[in-house]
Amino acid sequence: MTLLQLAWKNVVGSAFRSWIVFLCVLVVTALLFSTVLVIRGAQDSLRLVQQRLGADVVVVPEGTETQVETALLMGQPVAVWMPRENLDRIAGIPGVAIVTPQLYLASLANAPCCSAEMFLMAFDPQTDFTITPWLSQNLGHELGLGEAIGGSDVFVPYGEENIRIYGYEIDLSGNLERTGTGLDTALFFTFETAREVAQVSRTKAVRPLEIPSDSISAALARVVPGADPRLVALQIVHDVPGVAAIPSSGLFQTFHRQISGLLRSVLAILGITSVLSLVLVGLVFSMAANERRRETGVMRALGATHGAVLRSLLAEAIILAFGGGITGILLAALAIYLFRNLIVLSLGLSFLFPSFPSLVALGGGGLVLALAGVTLAVLPPALRTCRQDPAVAMRE
Amino acid sequence: MISLIGVTKTYPVGKGATVTAAHGIELQVERGEYLVITGRSGAGKTTLLNLVAGLTRPTSGQVLWDGTDLWDLADPQRSLLRNRRVGFIFQFPSLLPSLSVLENVVLPTAFGPAHGKPGARERADELLHLVGLVDKRAAYPRQLSAGQQQRAVIARSLVNRPQVLLADEPTSDLDEQTEMEIIDLFARIHATMDLTILMVTHAPRLVTRSARSIEMADGVIVA
Repeated sequence: MTLLQLAWKNVVGSAFRSWIVFLCVLVVTALLFSTVLVIRGAQDSLRLVQQRLGADVVVVPEGTETQVETALLMGQPVAVWMPRENLDRIAGIPGVAIVTPQLYLASLANAPCCSAEMFLMAFDPQTDFTITPWLSQNLGHELGLGEAIGGSDVFVPYGEENIRIYGYEIDLSGNLERTGTGLDTALFFTFETAREVAQVSRTKAVRPLEIPSDSISAALARVVPGADPRLVALQIVHDVPGVAAIPSSGLFQTFHRQISGLLRSVLAILGITSVLSLVLVGLVFSMAANERRRETGVMRALGATHGAVLRSLLAEAIILAFGGGITGILLAALAIYLFRNLIVLSLGLSFLFPSFPSLVALGGGGLVLALAGVTLAVLPPALRTCRQDPAVAMRE
Repeated sequence: MISLIGVTKTYPVGKGATVTAAHGIELQVERGEYLVITGRSGAGKTTLLNLVAGLTRPTSGQVLWDGTDLWDLADPQRSLLRNRRVGFIFQFPSLLPSLSVLENVVLPTAFGPAHGKPGARERADELLHLVGLVDKRAAYPRQLSAGQQQRAVIARSLVNRPQVLLADEPTSDLDEQTEMEIIDLFARIHATMDLTILMVTHAPRLVTRSARSIEMADGVIVA
């Protein structure tokens, strides 16, 4: 028989104590892990959208910054306009390398002319540097008239061959990878297709699609190497009236702040919960150690060293922490995966379920924390127990 | 083999007060000897056994094993000596409740230098056969009678082939018939295994013919 086997036998033999410790560790680990998972998923999602937009500066009509950010992240359709001539002005600003327009539209909700309410985005393939790279990866050819590519959650309704937008039949040519944001429910097509949709909508839609002439919703700019996007953004605001220019570092700041705020408050609550749980674990072990003073004395009489008694007690705690920690992590991961859409809706955050390697790394970190926490909580009673005089322990 | 020289042990009992459980003990135990320590409750018999085993540090005096003071040894060496050379039988139920009888018997092998040494289970089976419990090897302590538990403890005390057996009131909770069976078992073990036995009892009638006996009262050897 080894000390580990002895510890396992004691874990099984002290069912009540073991369940309390197991559940404490499970709850704390699950709460901690799910919080980290949600925060990480939200951060990953924001980072991915920023990468995919690929712009150093995003220019939108003044006062619509939050609306546009919300549309991009949460998929809430938005319709904002600014003059197309802004493109030339932006392109002429020193430090701007390339600028491309985007048009944000919304399909109709609960209308027979539209398959679903969707965020629609038109772009110019000639100048685009944000969507085209994804399209070429997914399609292998440039998007043509009447073709669209959808976010990961866009699909052709059952029993239909195409997606209907304002009565116009659009061929869904492919889907993009999941981002966990509003882009997953968006439909991307060219400006030509957008104009065709507007044309057809006059006769076939419940309400026609109105696109003001010579208007765009946003302009995405890349700066020349060495230029500071923040300075270029300031220059754009100065030179182009009626616009807001957001450098990439300032994009989605509202959401970053929201995540940070959420993280702070949840971590504070979790910190208190963790400390209370670890105190409870320590108390339970302390009580168990007191009940088993005579047993520990017997072990010492049979030749167990201080160290062997300590290792045996810590092994019991580590077995329980490991079991509770693994179970908590698996349950939390499963719950977050199953309810990820609910999380997006209830927290108002975009969310991307972490990749398997990230998940393993986060889970490993959570497990190490659980093991360290329980070991620390159990160490004082374990040390007290192994240091006691065996003769006194056996007499009590 | 074992010498106690001027050994005194006092225990604190709170608020600066102490109680002297053993006072100026002088004792010599030879190899192969069967020593019975008698005396009334509180005479210091259990303290004497604990001192012999190095389970409690004497307040003054020396406990020598083959000329080496136990308290000159570090805890691992003292523990190793207990593990290799001493078998313990306690007056209270001392089997670990979460282990089966067989696991309890092999338990001391978990604490030695070769954890779970090969042959430990075979040795345990042999000893369970000796004490008549081989059919209870898979049972748990709660499923055994007090006499059966004490037999299992005797088997456990012998698993590491000790040189010295320390038995503290091994028959205190047993009926008269089981008491005699256990005492007979001790006599057989002493005769066949060449063991040194120190047995504490409050019943002088249990002193066998082959044993030397001493009597304790108020922490001193009186006879």
